[in-house]
Amino acid sequence: MRVNFVLSEVATGLRRNLTMTVAMILTTAISLGLMGTGLLIAGMISDMKEIYYDKVQVSIFLADDVTEEQRAGVEDQLAQLQSEGEVQSYLYESKEDAYARFQQQFSQQPELVQNTPPDALPESFRVELVNPERYEVIAAQFPDGTNGVDQVRDEGDFLDRLFSLLNGARNATIAVAVVQALAALLLISNTIQLAAFNRRNETNIMRLVGASRWYTQLPFILEAALAGLIGALLAIGGLVLTKLLFVDKALAGPIKAGIIPPVDWSAIATISPIIAAAGVGLAAIAAYVTLRLYVRL
Amino acid sequence: MIELQHVTKLYPASARPALDDVSTEIDKGEFVFLIGSSGSGKSTFLRLLLKEDDPTKGTVVVNGKTLNTMSKWNVPKLRRTMGCVFQDFRLLRNRTVEQNVAFALEVINKPQRTIKRVVPEVLEMVGLEGKAGRLPGELSGGEQQRVAIARAFVNRPLVLLADEPTGNLDPETSEGIMLLLERINRTGTTVIMATHDYHIVDSMRRRVIELNGGQITRDQSRGVYGVGR
Repeated sequence: MRVNFVLSEVATGLRRNLTMTVAMILTTAISLGLMGTGLLIAGMISDMKEIYYDKVQVSIFLADDVTEEQRAGVEDQLAQLQSEGEVQSYLYESKEDAYARFQQQFSQQPELVQNTPPDALPESFRVELVNPERYEVIAAQFPDGTNGVDQVRDEGDFLDRLFSLLNGARNATIAVAVVQALAALLLISNTIQLAAFNRRNETNIMRLVGASRWYTQLPFILEAALAGLIGALLAIGGLVLTKLLFVDKALAGPIKAGIIPPVDWSAIATISPIIAAAGVGLAAIAAYVTLRLYVRL
Repeated sequence: MIELQHVTKLYPASARPALDDVSTEIDKGEFVFLIGSSGSGKSTFLRLLLKEDDPTKGTVVVNGKTLNTMSKWNVPKLRRTMGCVFQDFRLLRNRTVEQNVAFALEVINKPQRTIKRVVPEVLEMVGLEGKAGRLPGELSGGEQQRVAIARAFVNRPLVLLADEPTGNLDPETSEGIMLLLERINRTGTTVIMATHDYHIVDSMRRRVIELNGGQITRDQSRGVYGVGR
């Protein structure tokens, strides 16, 4: 295979339909960028799940007028449940602890912190269950408003709603990415048809003198693959900029507070090859299929 | 060498077959004129030999290979043993004479060394040794057809197919082209030429296959174009 020949064909092809090439690269970039965003959100969701679900599943809030014995009674019951294999672990949080955590979580909203008296937050036991589904069984052991227990709350319930929201955001991003990918594929197909039409004299002669199909098709496929690669690089650049300019700046507070996990460079480094491979692979496949279906070579 | 057995070709768009039960044989080294009015099936005949199309019925054999059963991947190999020349030359306008000829070898992966050696040889043979660096647009019609012939012949094909090669040329230029094709024929290459040019057919007195409405109506060695033309 004459590398020079193939490369010069690729360069000529891309130059000849510059506007189509640019459109093809941009749609590919947008599609891949959204796909990358979707993957990053997915990663973030699983990080958050680890942070939240691991921390707490059930909170047992104690009443303001709880007595020493009642508090010890709840703790005994929890120890009992732990030995029975229902409770993984539990943690006592005093009013002061709760306030400190509140201060940290809402450090971005100082007014809220200032307007909350330190003793407004109830003391509680934070309980991690062996099986989060067994919440009802645990709740039944600590009826609300008796033995110093104010109320039992399944934090998982709130988290489920939060995560269904985040999952929705991820799915929407990926859905838009798929629609964009479809547009990108159609554009690639169109560009390749145009390129093949522009070079029909060459390819006709190649066909007649017995050039192999592979030799005839390769320049077109490489042309699409190259556009896909450039699109992927732009998409990766977009993700880097999004991290630097949006995630690291606008979301700095919640990240520092541990509410949202940070987007690590390693996460971007992990998905970059996936984006690049998807860009190059899909473009090349689209080109190949186009050549098979529409172009006589 | 080349054999058609009861070949029928129907195109979807037309009710009448382009070729209708055609059987013939062409031996190695023959020079054959394929004559007949437009639409008589000459071009279809040539297309089937190149496996640009498959027959609807019947068998086509070229160089001992049955084209009907030949896989797509082997078609390039077949075409490397055949050269093609057309009425409209089909040269690449943006490449020089030399590059046009070399192109045919480059795209089938011939080593650069071979290309450097054989391209000047074939250009000399067609009488264009001084014009290797010209672009097709700077040449006369006859010269352009010589480039096309050089390109078709540079890989020493077993068969040369020529579809009205003199259709765009004046009689004097045509004569030069015919001398060239004869010379190529003398090297042992089978030449099959579709033409309307009765002067040429009558003066050369070679085998004539006449097609009419997709059927062979005459097959004559040392024939003429025919009466009633």
